Amino acid sequence: MWRPTSIPSMLAEALAGWPPPVLDPAGPFNTPIVVLSWALFVMAAGVTLVVAIATGLALFGGPTWKRRLGGKRLVWIGGLAFPLVVLSVLLVWGLTLTSRLSEAPPPGEMRVRVTGEVWWWRVAYLDGQGREAMQDANEIHIPTGRPVTFELESADVIHAFWIPRLGGKVDMIPGRRNIARLQADEPGVYAGQCAEFCGGPHALMGLVVVAHTPENFERWRQSRLAPSAPPADPLSQRGAQVFEQSGCGACHAIAGTTANGMAGPDLTHVGSRRSLGAGILPNNRGTLAGWTADSQTIKPGNRMPAYKVLSGADLQAVAAYLESRR
Amino acid sequence: MSSETGFDPKLYDRFPTKGPRPKEELSELKRIWCAPRKWEHLTVVNNNYVGLYYVGAAFLFFVLAGVLALVMRTQLALPLNGVLPQETYNQFFTMHGTVMMFLFAVPAVEALAVLLLPQMLAARDLPFPRLSAYAFWAYLVGGLAFFCSLFFGLAPNGGWFMYPPLTSKTFSPGINADFWLLGIGFIEISAIAGAIEIIVGVLKTRAPGMTLDKLPIFAWAMLVFAVMIIIGFPSIILGTLLLELERALDWPFFDAARGGDPVLWQHLFWFFGHPEVYIIFLPAAGMMSMIIPSVAQTPLVGYRMVVLALLATGFISFGVWAHHMFTTGMPTISVNFFSAASMAVSVPAGVQVFSWIATVAAGRMKFNTPGLFALGSLITFTMGGLTGVMVGLVPFDWQAHDTYFIVAHLHYVLIGGMVFPLFAALYYWTPMMSLNALSERVGRWVFWLMFSGMHVAFLPMHLTGLMGMPRRVYTYLPGRGWDLPNMISTIGAFLIAAGVLLFCIDFARRFRFSADASAGNIYGGGTLEWLPTGLYSTRSIPVISSRYPVWDDPELAKDVDDGRYFLPGTATGVRETVVTSPLNAEPQYLQRMPTPSAWHVWAAVGTAGFFLLLTVQAYAASIFCGVVAIAAVLRWLWDTDRPLKDETADIGAGIRVPTYVTGPSSHGWWAMVILLIVVGMIFAMLVFSYLFLWSRRPDLWIAPPSQSSFLLTTSGYLAAAAIPMLASRALFKWRAGAFVATVLMIAATGVQGAAFWQDFASWRAAGLAPEASGQGATVYGFLALQGCMLAICVLMTGYLAARTACGMVDARRRATFDLIWMFFVYTALQGFVAAMLVRLAPGS
Amino acid sequence: MMGLVLCACEGGKVQPRALSGADAGLGRDIAERVGCGACHQIPGIAWPQGKVGPPLEGFADRALIAGRFPNQPETLARFVRDAPSLSPQTGMPPMPLTEEEARHVAAYLYTLNAR
Repeated sequence: MWRPTSIPSMLAEALAGWPPPVLDPAGPFNTPIVVLSWALFVMAAGVTLVVAIATGLALFGGPTWKRRLGGKRLVWIGGLAFPLVVLSVLLVWGLTLTSRLSEAPPPGEMRVRVTGEVWWWRVAYLDGQGREAMQDANEIHIPTGRPVTFELESADVIHAFWIPRLGGKVDMIPGRRNIARLQADEPGVYAGQCAEFCGGPHALMGLVVVAHTPENFERWRQSRLAPSAPPADPLSQRGAQVFEQSGCGACHAIAGTTANGMAGPDLTHVGSRRSLGAGILPNNRGTLAGWTADSQTIKPGNRMPAYKVLSGADLQAVAAYLESRR
Repeated sequence: MSSETGFDPKLYDRFPTKGPRPKEELSELKRIWCAPRKWEHLTVVNNNYVGLYYVGAAFLFFVLAGVLALVMRTQLALPLNGVLPQETYNQFFTMHGTVMMFLFAVPAVEALAVLLLPQMLAARDLPFPRLSAYAFWAYLVGGLAFFCSLFFGLAPNGGWFMYPPLTSKTFSPGINADFWLLGIGFIEISAIAGAIEIIVGVLKTRAPGMTLDKLPIFAWAMLVFAVMIIIGFPSIILGTLLLELERALDWPFFDAARGGDPVLWQHLFWFFGHPEVYIIFLPAAGMMSMIIPSVAQTPLVGYRMVVLALLATGFISFGVWAHHMFTTGMPTISVNFFSAASMAVSVPAGVQVFSWIATVAAGRMKFNTPGLFALGSLITFTMGGLTGVMVGLVPFDWQAHDTYFIVAHLHYVLIGGMVFPLFAALYYWTPMMSLNALSERVGRWVFWLMFSGMHVAFLPMHLTGLMGMPRRVYTYLPGRGWDLPNMISTIGAFLIAAGVLLFCIDFARRFRFSADASAGNIYGGGTLEWLPTGLYSTRSIPVISSRYPVWDDPELAKDVDDGRYFLPGTATGVRETVVTSPLNAEPQYLQRMPTPSAWHVWAAVGTAGFFLLLTVQAYAASIFCGVVAIAAVLRWLWDTDRPLKDETADIGAGIRVPTYVTGPSSHGWWAMVILLIVVGMIFAMLVFSYLFLWSRRPDLWIAPPSQSSFLLTTSGYLAAAAIPMLASRALFKWRAGAFVATVLMIAATGVQGAAFWQDFASWRAAGLAPEASGQGATVYGFLALQGCMLAICVLMTGYLAARTACGMVDARRRATFDLIWMFFVYTALQGFVAAMLVRLAPGS
Repeated sequence: MMGLVLCACEGGKVQPRALSGADAGLGRDIAERVGCGACHQIPGIAWPQGKVGPPLEGFADRALIAGRFPNQPETLARFVRDAPSLSPQTGMPPMPLTEEEARHVAAYLYTLNAR
């Protein structure tokens, strides 16, 4: 069922979305692309106009215009010389920019490994030796003001990693490791979405990049490195028990517990995420309960079975426990 | 004018002939080329009928795929809408793309070629009418069954470019993907059959004197189109074969864990897939270059530049495929090469656009419906081409790739570049074969609805893409500003649909098929299809001395219709056409044309049944259909290669040409050479796959078999290539040459079989399993291809033996033998090259 | 109450129960924002349409909340905000809503009449 939305409100929403994310750069890996894009828009509009005017003159122009346009000279000039000049200029610009944006990252740059999975994102922060120091899912935290290298891999099918405001997209291909470099200049939350069709609920495979100031990022990192507190209140403690007894740990890992499954997202900090189900649901105790009991209705085909065996009280407890994993 | 074949051009001066024609000549012609009655409509081979069916079927698939688009647009009109569930949506968009590309766009232009080319070239028919009919029936039966998979929820759901591993067995365990792979299989066969027909038709059945420089642009475009199919389609044929082998037998061509690579599929797919866009666009551009001069009443400005542009497009388009892969992490150097090539390919398009504008300026454009569609196409295609230039620039593509910006771009190109010209063509050529022209009043409505709908639907999609909406999403979350542009796009889609619906109604009301009492040249065209025609095309075949003969010789129509040119009736009392030389179109011989037959229809039904039943794993029924198909093809062939009693015939004004030729001047020789190019391209793509996988994971490759197996295999293949050459000599030498030749051919088959077995066994002994690695998969891939070819050789040997036994092969009547001989030599040499490559290239 | 029911019979529909200062439209937006749909099918919220809890179509006509508590405005407002405080065994967790937001949501639920 659909709640009728008024056209003005849709218009307002569309205008509020201006400029569109792709043309609203938030870092140096998108800014030059946006400059190029605007040049391309102007070029496309200009050439369309030239063609339209030439066609108009060819149709309705006086005999002089018709004589000028109605010969092979027009084909030489308009069809050959004009495109060659315009395209050459654009090509040089494009090639230079491509090379500049594909430069290999300098050693020592912060590295995050993102692995595409059907239909979520596995995130691992690498330390200086390239080992996976911290695990997370569907949400990536970065510091502002410096480039971050993303090592992109896939665990199953091809996905594409894309944060429109920060830069272009890069495919995640099984058997390959691709590199994307992004930088956010200002703190904020930058939304992204899988861009390569990956089957089933591909439409519902979102992720966010959260950029912090360097100080806040460091604070966030320290809090992540510290062992997370065991559940404090009785409800969460019961939830921890239910979580363990129901076998959730076979697929999910929670650091410091027996849960060490690798098939699904790491839940060590699930309570602190901004969304559930790979960027599609708000994250609170209610949606945690709903997702746990029956994620299949929400995101059909995802790999987590519906847990319809839990009692109401157990479900409550699990939701409370997960919410406390911050 | 220098002669190409020894034909004396002065003989052309005998036309138009004077004096009365025999009275019964025309009625005899009409009797031989009579119209089918009732059930004969199924067995008909005449291009007027087959072409019309073909266009109708293609249009049916256009409407069906369009309906899918409407449902999808309804689903996307609002965020989180519930019209289509996720799985159904995924099937819908896959089918929309697949049906539009494979079942509408390519067949539609092939269909128009079958319908129009004989008339444009003033041939009685194209050289292989049964092949055209076979291509049509395989396409119709197979296409309909393929489409119906949607009603059972079994339609493919991996997107029209079917990227593995999503489409491999692990992630697509159902038979949906098999429907795509096998369903596309016979459509490829159909497309290639059509392409062979078109190439030989354009090169060999032109009106005498119609040199390549006087060829109508549409025929030029179809020639380039068909050559591109011959070069491009083998890549997708091989791709689908490999993916099906991976799905059915677990040969890891695309499985990264075992040394395959999913990117290999992308190369194979796009090496076909990008030229495919030009394969669709070039014929439409050819139609534009026919229609615009007519509606402007002036010759095309820059004819030779346009021809060069067509050739350049065809050539460059094979160097741009990887621009669909800019985001796969290719090395910067390759990315830059493909970016530059993508820029270059837009230049010839620019040449054509400005040639059309210049033509409009040179003449006086009439704003009739074909004219409107042509102008609409010009503007829309230009815009699509410009967004194409944008995404050809790598950094912009990184952002736009796989978003609605691309959806917008490709619809601008395909609707502006192909659908609008097609509608212009439908309006323009309907009077050629219908009692009534279509309504100009309704036509204006159709145009403006479709034109405005097109821009309302697709202009906002550029923005939707830049707002971050990826393509192929069954829904989207609210609150991102995507709602309004999506709603507008949906409204536009329904406007287009209203235009198409109006067209269908008008077409149903006014179209009445007629070859000889058609509405005629109401748009004032200057090319040969506007001469008065019957089912036999023109009454006599004119001598051509200009690009617009109907404009340049006001008497032409009357003279042609009075039988004052070549072949004014029938020379030998059967269906026939004049075969001419490829460059200057000098008459070479008289080809006997086939008559209606049920065999090619059974062959088509069998082919479609074979592939579709294979999909649903009904193996016994599938094999039965395969046998039916092969038996029907052999029976169909049995009637061919029948020389007439008269060795020469008078084709008008006392000019006599042979009625039976073999070798490079015969149409069969050309068809076989083209077929071998197709097979050679499949082989070349397999070589590419082999080297590509080798470069990926050489660590998984094992050492090749022993030296002795190498010598045995390669010398066996060389011997198998040499023996048919001896056989060919033998056929000339003795009275019993046919028997000697046949025995030698049987021996060649045996030697080749032994070489093949030696090859296969040596790899088994070396311990290579097809499931083991990319090496295993590709080496056995070579063997599988060779095995198929060998099986065909065995079949051919049997056929040759049967014909020899029936006394149907001798030193003069040797067309069948020649074609088989060529196939044998090719097959053995291919086996030789493959055996060398897989033993030498790994080098370990 | 009786009067209301009689009115309902005559008018064919139940009037929204009074929740002073509550805005049903705002309530819908809030319900969508916090993801009530993860468990409930709620008319006016397109997605998700969860099946963990009962569908809420025609909620205004229900006599009981969760089969136990009288369907009264203040009770409902409390239930949507903190169900376990009323019914410890329920599977519905406390939701991150202020008391005022809960009243908006309740008001929205009372606009959902049976058809």
